[in-house]
Amino acid sequence: MNRKLVNVFLVLLAVAIIAIILFDFLRNKAGDRSENRFEYNIDELRHVDSTLIIYRQVGQFPVNAEKLSGIAVSGDEIVVIADHLVLKYDKTGSEKFRGQINFDPTALAPDSNGELWVASRDQVFLFDAQGNLLKRSNSFGDHAVITSLAVSGERIYVADAGNRIVYQCDKQGNIVARIGEKNPGKGVSGFVIPSPYFDIAIDDSGFLWAANTGRHTFDNFNADGSLRTSWGKTSIKIDGFSGCCNPAHFCILSDNSFVTSEKGLIRIKLYDQHGQFKGVVAPPDQFGKQDTEAPDVAVDSDERIWALDFVKKQVRIFEKK
Amino acid sequence: MSDKTERKGMERRRFIKRGMQATLAVSLGGVAVASFMKSYAGEMVWQIDPFKCVQCGRCADECVMMPSAVKCVHAYALCGYCDLCGGYLKPNANERSTAAENQLCPTAAIKRKFIEDPYFEYEIDEELCIGCAKCVAGCTSFGNGSLHLQIRHDRCKNCNECAIARVCPADAITRVPANQPYLIKGDFTAAGDKAKKDTSRMSDNN
Repeated sequence: MNRKLVNVFLVLLAVAIIAIILFDFLRNKAGDRSENRFEYNIDELRHVDSTLIIYRQVGQFPVNAEKLSGIAVSGDEIVVIADHLVLKYDKTGSEKFRGQINFDPTALAPDSNGELWVASRDQVFLFDAQGNLLKRSNSFGDHAVITSLAVSGERIYVADAGNRIVYQCDKQGNIVARIGEKNPGKGVSGFVIPSPYFDIAIDDSGFLWAANTGRHTFDNFNADGSLRTSWGKTSIKIDGFSGCCNPAHFCILSDNSFVTSEKGLIRIKLYDQHGQFKGVVAPPDQFGKQDTEAPDVAVDSDERIWALDFVKKQVRIFEKK
Repeated sequence: MSDKTERKGMERRRFIKRGMQATLAVSLGGVAVASFMKSYAGEMVWQIDPFKCVQCGRCADECVMMPSAVKCVHAYALCGYCDLCGGYLKPNANERSTAAENQLCPTAAIKRKFIEDPYFEYEIDEELCIGCAKCVAGCTSFGNGSLHLQIRHDRCKNCNECAIARVCPADAITRVPANQPYLIKGDFTAAGDKAKKDTSRMSDNN
């Protein structure tokens, strides 16, 4: 009797051990572990209160190119630079012009008469409306990394992330002023630009605004290059800017509101002219979870916001709700 | 008839003999060549391709070493020296300070040092780093990606089959020559910049 009980016990024990081994093998199978106990989770930050979202996407169209670089609105045309191309679309998204250029474009700014300024890494080019090259600058230096252009009257502004400076040039190409250059004597601390994200824009009064991304501020300058004002807030929360290079892109509306675009946690937001947070144009949820590239943004005369989505390779149109 | 049979037998024996001689010569030659190649071929070691790494966290758990031989390294040339560092601070940190509750690293292996306004330097304490890649994920998401993982060869046992490579979901761990054992980020800035010198004038293209 005792021996029989012992045998039954041993058999049960063997079955239990085999079951445990099988369970453990199946559960911990190599390559099967999907959870990450060290996960960097920003899902909470991706969620935005719906009452803060004041724009909605009303359309989009694809850009038939590989590497997109920038977007601008010129009258009734949407201009996109990509690959070695200048592309022009009407507001329905129909491609109206496709011009070949022989350099990698990095920035663009429309001028009068349909002319277009386009930058390469270290030079600036002027094209007419038909895409003919009119002017070409000499290089802005060995360390130049031109990331943005802006036109105001007879002046063209060139943002150089490599040298952390904005050049104010006349249309003959002479450098008139070096804006934001570090000058401890005048108490100018200079731009802090950790990476090639350095956008500029002109407000309706013709004053220059530059995104000082290392400080998460917008700096406003007089025509002579002196600092007028500045605003910004460092925070990962919805009303601030985070990371090392934000806001990566921005544009200014006719009422001097700012549309800002952030990389990392991608979000497009709206601020008033004094830097007061007004709402969200596009929350992180509207972009892929793994995407980190901030869309370039432009605004048209109807206050619609045109965002160039570098990942989806499309232009996305946002309108106020 | 018997002569013919004897000759056939001789040919067969000669064939077998020569066949064995040839086999022996080929074997010896093969061993010699293999030994020569092994002697002169470079040793290979395991390394992580930082551009393939997806920061899954397995380097911390799967390495046979405890703590892992995988450590975070910092490409200082790429770093923005940011105050709000995505690799150092938790996304929802209360403030930008060195307080423990604000630090992203589970072992406080990153040291933050003030340089000058607004720059901060971040240094990895390898004794504390467990290779979890949490900081790498933060830096990649919000910064320049200057923080990245590497297998440190003063700790790695160079196992025949790397336990981490076996489970790496991105196939980021590969064999590299031992004389170039690290894949450090930051060389891309050396790309051919054909910039010219004159910065002041534009010229008519026509």
